[in-house]
This record gives sequence, C-alpha cells and structure tokens, in this order.
Amino acid sequence: MIVELLAVGLVVSACLAIYLDEAVYSVASLACMFVLMAVLYALSDAVFVAVFQLAVSAGTLAVLFLAGEMLSEKPEKEKSLKKIFPVVLLAVVLSLPSIFLSVAVTPANISSGFSFAEALWDLRVIDVILQGLVIMTVALGIAIVLYERREGES
Amino acid sequence: MDYMILSVILLAVGIYGLLTKRHLVKVLISIEIIAVAASMNFVLLASSLNRALGETFLVLAFSTDTCVTAIVLALLVIVAKKYGTCDIRKLAEIERSADEEQAKS
Repeated sequence: MIVELLAVGLVVSACLAIYLDEAVYSVASLACMFVLMAVLYALSDAVFVAVFQLAVSAGTLAVLFLAGEMLSEKPEKEKSLKKIFPVVLLAVVLSLPSIFLSVAVTPANISSGFSFAEALWDLRVIDVILQGLVIMTVALGIAIVLYERREGES
Repeated sequence: MDYMILSVILLAVGIYGLLTKRHLVKVLISIEIIAVAASMNFVLLASSLNRALGETFLVLAFSTDTCVTAIVLALLVIVAKKYGTCDIRKLAEIERSADEEQAKS
C-alpha cells in the first residue's frame, strides 16, 4: 500500500513540477518527487542509492531554487486551486496503470555474488576515479566560463 | 505494482514538459524528471534481481547527471544575463533577427 501511494505521489509531484508556473513552486514539487523517489529506493532495499539520491538532489535543488528565483519572472496571475485540482486528478489517473498493470520481465540467469561495496570499489574503481576527474573538470570549466563572462562584462 | 510502467509514465511526463514548456528552468526540470525516470528503472530492476552492480552504475550515473545539470545551469545564467530572457521562443527570435542583420550587412 505504501509503495502504491508513493507511485501516485511521484506522478502527481512530477506533473505539478511541469504544470506550475512559478519556478519556486515547481522546484518545491520536484524536491517532493526526489524525496519520494529516495523513500521508494530505500523500501526496495537500495539504501545506498537512496542516500546518494537524497545527497545529490539536495545540491541540485538548492541551485535550482536559486536559479528559479533569480531568473524567472513572477507570473501575473497565480494558478488557483481549482485549476490545479484537474491536473492532480489527471496525474492520479496516469499513475493507476503502474499500480494495476504489470509487464512480465524474465530475469537473465546470471548470478552475481557481489555486494555493493565490492562492486563499487573492486570492479568499478577506475570508473569512480575517472568520475572524480570528470566532476573536477566540470567544476573548473564552469568556474572559468563564468569568470570569463564576468571579465567580459567589466 | 510495476516499476517499469511507472518509469514510462514519468518519462512521458518529462518529455511532455520538454516539448511544451518555454522557460529554460522548466526545460531543465523536465530533463531532471526524464533522468530520474530512467535511473529509477535501472535501480529498481537491479534491486529486485539482487544485483549490486546495477546500483553501482546508478551511483556513477547520478554524478554524471549532476554534472549535466551544473553545466546547463551555468549556460542558463549566461544566456539570461546576455539576452535578458529565459524564454526559448524569444531567444530564437533574437537569434533570427541577429542573423538577418548579419545577412544585411
């Protein structure tokens, strides 16, 4: 029952994130979606991914909040609850197939006896190191681009 | 409860947003929803099959996704400062008029 409610909540918050005009409300709805997703992961025994999802989404959302507040104009007329209600209803209807229908998936018969830590630090250690390099390069690149832009303005 | 169908529904919502919304922040939010839908599919399938490797790939994919978001946001700030708008259609109009002026001169 909890998982079904989470599925409905996920679809409703995704729809509201798209539908709401004001960027801050939209990002708040996206935050709700990320939290529900992390709870869904945790309930499915993917606790590490849930924690990672929460940590990553916290950063993403903080920046999105700032960007949304800074870059978006206030809409002239806020959407009333009467206009939001049909969207919520539509989202609930949209989420129903995921609750009542099912797709048959035949799992491949490959046994993997790795734990999460073994898979991350033994099998994919080069990936992890390269990922760190990529993230550092991206951070440096963004800093350089924004710095050049500021110099060009002054 | 089927996660694959849920993932497809979220993907559809994200694609709808990507196609219909004009504000760049909204487009970014739609991209986030699409990324979340795709990763959810992988995580929950890996988790239901008890494969830790799938979760490991997803942890790496989250980092890449964050990098993409950071780059898009930086570009978004630059575009907003340069052209004074985040509306895709207005940006396209500005570019079109700039091209026309260039062609005239």
